[in-house]
Amino acid sequence: MAEAKLGNPAVVGLAGFGLTTMVLQFHNVGWMELGPVVWLGLIFGGLAQMIAGLQEMKTGNNFGYSAFTSYGCFWIALVLILIGNHYGIYKSSTTDIGWFLVAWTLYTAIMWIGSMRVSSALAICFTLLLAGFILLDLAHFGYPYLTIVAGYELMLCALTAWYIMAHIIYMDVFGRDVLPVGKPWL
Amino acid sequence: MKLMKMMGISLMIGVLGTSFAWAEATESATPEEVIAKVNQAAKYLHEKGDSAVAEFNAKTSQWIWKDSYVFIYNCQQNRMIAHPFRPDLVDKPILQIKDTKGTLLFQKLCEAGKSKNGGWVEYYWDKPGDTVPSRKISYALSADVSFKVGIQVGAGIYDDKATLEQLTGLIGKMTDPSQFPAP
Repeated sequence: MAEAKLGNPAVVGLAGFGLTTMVLQFHNVGWMELGPVVWLGLIFGGLAQMIAGLQEMKTGNNFGYSAFTSYGCFWIALVLILIGNHYGIYKSSTTDIGWFLVAWTLYTAIMWIGSMRVSSALAICFTLLLAGFILLDLAHFGYPYLTIVAGYELMLCALTAWYIMAHIIYMDVFGRDVLPVGKPWL
Repeated sequence: MKLMKMMGISLMIGVLGTSFAWAEATESATPEEVIAKVNQAAKYLHEKGDSAVAEFNAKTSQWIWKDSYVFIYNCQQNRMIAHPFRPDLVDKPILQIKDTKGTLLFQKLCEAGKSKNGGWVEYYWDKPGDTVPSRKISYALSADVSFKVGIQVGAGIYDDKATLEQLTGLIGKMTDPSQFPAP
């Protein structure tokens, strides 16, 4: 239920997640370099999403609390890995980054089950996110061309995250459910 | 005086000519060295990632030896990533580059580099310091770099006699020595 008095942290969390994921995929498919990804990963997908996650604590929404805080930290950690590699501080090889991504794939699998109890749109988002992580894992363990497949696939994931964000905001501003998110799968 | 001048000039020409001949006798990189160096460079990129690239553009490094050097290019993004002797080619498209015989060398390199253990391609290219192209056979190998697609590493030998069959056989020998027992 939309609360008139308090904002929903998800609209910030999903915005940060959606946009930063989208821009990383622009890089993964070869359209741009890593520059903007680094700074967005720190501030938007990272810091803003993490703060949104922490704000979920007061709403009692454990799913959002875990997901946004965790993925916020994912981005900050990933960016620091890239910066660390650049300056030779605690370097991570492609394989090391692969294992880092495997850990996040396992976390995503757990949340994927949970997302099926929230709404169709969120279940679709997490399905696409899980698939994307699996593709990126494989890309780091010997199938680099899968980075491009993951790139396009995760663009879809980013779009579904934005869709859910838009659903929440449009409910507020239009006063009705303009963009339905559908029934939970489980 | 005129005779002295002429003798001086002939002496200079003699010395210069000899030093050119001596320079020609500089050691040539062997195909084994090329395969080893390229594999080493690919591993280095895999370990260090994108930030390793700057080293390969430097005028002197461990990646330049004898008459050979490592160069890096991206087949997916169609551009040169690193080339110590041709900074004018770095960040520029490569797939349309033709040598003096009309060979689209980077298209062939990209194709050869797609094989698991890489491949050799023959074309004509200037030796470092020369202005006339020589026959060059380069070994191309894909490098697995995080969040990047299509990066390949290459280096070559300048040789008029080696054949592609010999060099391809050498890849097998160096990647699976068990198949080739000692003579």
